[in-house]
Amino acid sequence: GCWQHLSGKMEDYQATEETTFVVDEVSNNVKEAIESAIGPGVVAHAFNQWTTNVVEQTLSQLTKLGKPFKYIVTCVIMQKNGAGLHTASSCFWDSSTDGSCTIAFGLSI
Amino acid sequence: MRSLLRAWVALPFSLPVGFNAEEAHNIVKDCVDGVLGGEDYNHNNINQWTASIVEQSLTHLVKLGKAYKYIVTCAVVQKSAYGFHTASSCFWDTTADGTCTVRWENRTMNCVVNVFAIAIVL
Repeated sequence: GCWQHLSGKMEDYQATEETTFVVDEVSNNVKEAIESAIGPGVVAHAFNQWTTNVVEQTLSQLTKLGKPFKYIVTCVIMQKNGAGLHTASSCFWDSSTDGSCTIAFGLSI
Repeated sequence: MRSLLRAWVALPFSLPVGFNAEEAHNIVKDCVDGVLGGEDYNHNNINQWTASIVEQSLTHLVKLGKAYKYIVTCAVVQKSAYGFHTASSCFWDTTADGTCTVRWENRTMNCVVNVFAIAIVL
């Protein structure tokens, strides 16, 4: 379903910058989605809903860019309490076209 | 561009028949057991452990020789009274691409490993 949609659009893209992963553009979209999902005004007890909201809004913003990419968005939320949290990722892909960006966000709550 | 690739590229991969999540789950679980098994949370070693988990998992998955791109992520958190939440969402081809999540814990830490597999279409 969604793959056919992307294939139809790929012929429209001539410029190389539209078919490579632009980290800055994606980072801005992600930050906007985070602020919208868990920024001021969001009810505190909906903590377990925040991760879902962040990934859904982020994915929605990214697909609106209309670029021929598949996207995977992950989100980790942890309460600040002094305990350690460590993450790592490793990828096997086409480094000329594929890319990633990571946003670390600290909130005072 | 894509029709050119079909004519000129031949990769020694078997054709994917859908992502085998159970196979990936077993591979990753063995990697996590090997790295974290018997260990307590240790601030000095934790970076090395998470890096080992993702690298070893990726190596084993690639060795399956299937036509997939892989993304492996790992989060390790020290056990505490506080919450730890993760979520992921994907925009892809649901018939060919797939994911599996391995949750592992011991007395002092929780570990969540996600594998995302994107089918390479030639």
